Amino acid sequence: MKRWVVWLLAFLGLAVAQDRAQVLVYGGDWTDLITLDPQVVYEFSGVMIADNLYETLVRFEGNDLSTLRPGLAESWKVERGTTDWILTFKLRKGSRFSTGREVTAKDVVYSFERALALKGPGSFLFTEIAQLKPGATKALDPYTVEVRIPKAASPQSFLSILTFTLGGIVDSEEAQKNAKGNDYGKDFLTNNSAGSGPYRLVRWDRGNQVILEANPYARIKPKVQRVVLRYIQEPAVLRTALESGEIDIAEGLTPEALRAIAANPRFKVVRAETLRLQYLAMNMKPGSPFANPKVREAVRWAVNQDELVQGLLQGNGVKMQTFIPKGLLGYNPTTPYKYDPARARKLLAEAGYPQGLDFELLASTGICGGGVPCPDVAAKVQADMAKAGLRARIRTIANAELLATYRAQNHQMVLAGWSPDFPDPDGNATPWSDFNARSLAWRNSYNDEVAAKLARQAALEAEPEKRKALYRILTEKVLREGPYVVLYQPAQPIGLSAKVEGFLKNPMMSVPLWQVSKQP
Amino acid sequence: MVAYLLRRLFMVLFVGVGITFVTFFIAQVIPIDPAVAALGENAREEQIQEFRKRYGLDQPLLVQYSIYLQRLLQLDLGRSLRTGRPVAEDLKEFFPATLELALSAFLVAVLLGLPAGVWAALRQNRPPDLLVRLMALLLGSTPVFFLAILLLDLLHRRLGVLPGPGRLDPYLIPPPPVTGLVTVDALLARNFAAFQDALAHLFLPAFVLGSASAALLARMVRAAMLEVLSQDYVRTAWAKGLSERQVVFRHALKNAALPVLTLLGGLMGGLLSGAVLTETIFSWPGLGRYVTQSATSLDFPAVMGVTLLVGVIYSLLNLAVDLLYALLDPRIRYA
Repeated sequence: MKRWVVWLLAFLGLAVAQDRAQVLVYGGDWTDLITLDPQVVYEFSGVMIADNLYETLVRFEGNDLSTLRPGLAESWKVERGTTDWILTFKLRKGSRFSTGREVTAKDVVYSFERALALKGPGSFLFTEIAQLKPGATKALDPYTVEVRIPKAASPQSFLSILTFTLGGIVDSEEAQKNAKGNDYGKDFLTNNSAGSGPYRLVRWDRGNQVILEANPYARIKPKVQRVVLRYIQEPAVLRTALESGEIDIAEGLTPEALRAIAANPRFKVVRAETLRLQYLAMNMKPGSPFANPKVREAVRWAVNQDELVQGLLQGNGVKMQTFIPKGLLGYNPTTPYKYDPARARKLLAEAGYPQGLDFELLASTGICGGGVPCPDVAAKVQADMAKAGLRARIRTIANAELLATYRAQNHQMVLAGWSPDFPDPDGNATPWSDFNARSLAWRNSYNDEVAAKLARQAALEAEPEKRKALYRILTEKVLREGPYVVLYQPAQPIGLSAKVEGFLKNPMMSVPLWQVSKQP
Repeated sequence: MVAYLLRRLFMVLFVGVGITFVTFFIAQVIPIDPAVAALGENAREEQIQEFRKRYGLDQPLLVQYSIYLQRLLQLDLGRSLRTGRPVAEDLKEFFPATLELALSAFLVAVLLGLPAGVWAALRQNRPPDLLVRLMALLLGSTPVFFLAILLLDLLHRRLGVLPGPGRLDPYLIPPPPVTGLVTVDALLARNFAAFQDALAHLFLPAFVLGSASAALLARMVRAAMLEVLSQDYVRTAWAKGLSERQVVFRHALKNAALPVLTLLGGLMGGLLSGAVLTETIFSWPGLGRYVTQSATSLDFPAVMGVTLLVGVIYSLLNLAVDLLYALLDPRIRYA
């Protein structure tokens, strides 16, 4: 063979290898994906993808969800008006959408009004939490936006909400050009993108794959040109595909597969932190044994969290007892309750149940945080509590049925999960402590005016140190008096090829794909 | 004949309406609120009310059903509660994958099952027959998920001779979607690399899905052939000194074809209604996975759409089988 042929082949081989390093293949179960419209999307995988297609005014970086950083806005300020909070954002010049148009204040106004008009499942963050009204967002000049929200709303929460895809800025001209009737281009943006994020959407074959490509106009240039998200539901197949090199990132591996992969130098395992909490809730409605604070305290002493986390979860989670998860402002690391069945039994006797107590524990048939089947978690809790005379009958039902029962307050004790709707402590504090919010506190008949007031006060507190102090008081109070036994904060393990660098999944489930690089 | 055809097609319509009726009322028996199922753990009361109103779930059952029928007359299958899209759009996206897989699996079944059955019948109780019967027993009784994972692990991960799950290599640029059948789309785009790769991706799922049908078919063909081969006219044919090929294909197979045809119609119907396990393991975006997803999230417009589609497919296949009967057996005439 002539030498140049060899060279040519070598070059071609190299070219192909380099090409492969420019494509990142991410396998997982993306079946919850139903839209990629930033103002409508509210599903885990949809939010994760849309986050790479659209930019927000402000954003969080990495795992830090307490420091706001500039996004499309290079600076912002919060002022106290007479009746409103006034937030002013200065946009940076020269940011461009994937359509080539420049991002200006009118796009921001359009996007916020769009969120209010489309009433997507996440729109309550704007309408209820931030109490944002139509017409409250104004373009002062092409690079300055002013937003006014009522005094009763928390500007801190609003800024946190703005980091979420709901606050993603769409190209108003492109959306309007493709609008059908009054839909603000919703049909079009379901499977097309018009954002200024590092990637643009090329193709979405439902049930099969989503393909993203570098947005040629983006301010942030991604390290990998093309990202392919393959739908792989079956964990055994996910493992096969990762090991064969067909995919670079695998989400949803079983604990056994993860152990095998961690031991193989060709792969690595990353544990993504989450803001999820797995907890037991006790219904305190009148007549229920759990209306008695001593019974609730007995339950708190009757769960062996250490064994649960180390044994069942194999470390895919951390022990927690308070309701603000690690990663948010106000996180309270205290864990005063240890496993002490004798003490629990004594409390139970004092409460008037010397023979012990029989009750029903509802658990989902599905998977709980940390990748463990919920019935297994329930069985572990049942065994621990039985030693203290708390005899739970487990009833496992489909998750949708469990939620319906829980919402209708028809439970005695339930094993459930919770993730905040937005990365701010108020995303937990209000639902967990304010009865009138008709969320968790209401479901469990926990009606405590002091707790509710503390939550409201903390939500509106602008000074971070004061806010932290308020949350400290509130979390301790709910820990000792409330209807919850927080069990753990799960972590999500993800398998990666050793060639992949810079992968991160933050606690709000967002994955900055543009930071990921891949060696040939 | 035309009158018969029209009558039968009219019946298909009836079957379709009957199917929607049964599915609709089964969906109502389930004690879970679809709105809660769709909106998840953090949903607020107002959101749930709004959702119920938007999808007409707050109306009385009979009103809901009559609205559904009215829409159906305009060929509108309603909107999916889960994806929020028209069900017809979803079906248009998921059905081609099932069609592509079903046709390939059917091909595998016929190519493997038919000759194997004939061969076994001709060599009854001799090694070929025993081999075919053993294989049929093995393939017919191996769970699909087991066979699929085994073959994928062996041929893809260990030996690397066949591609992994999915319809196309993620590193290839997929051809623009026209028909939704990746092989056909690749040919239309004259993208032969993609065509080859799509065929390779099709091979394993088609084999896994088709092999169970092949086993069934082989057993059926064998039994039907054995019966025919013992008939007087076949003995006469042998006695006339006809070659084996003439006896088998002209005299025996044609007569054995009627029961086989019925089975083939049923097999094709089964394949076209989507294969949940095969589709899940091979990450194949077909009807089976779509309907499972819809059922678990209580998305009954979607479930009804799929059931209706599958019901109509079955009815039409039955009609086709009946028409083929007349073609094969001159004694059968429809009027």
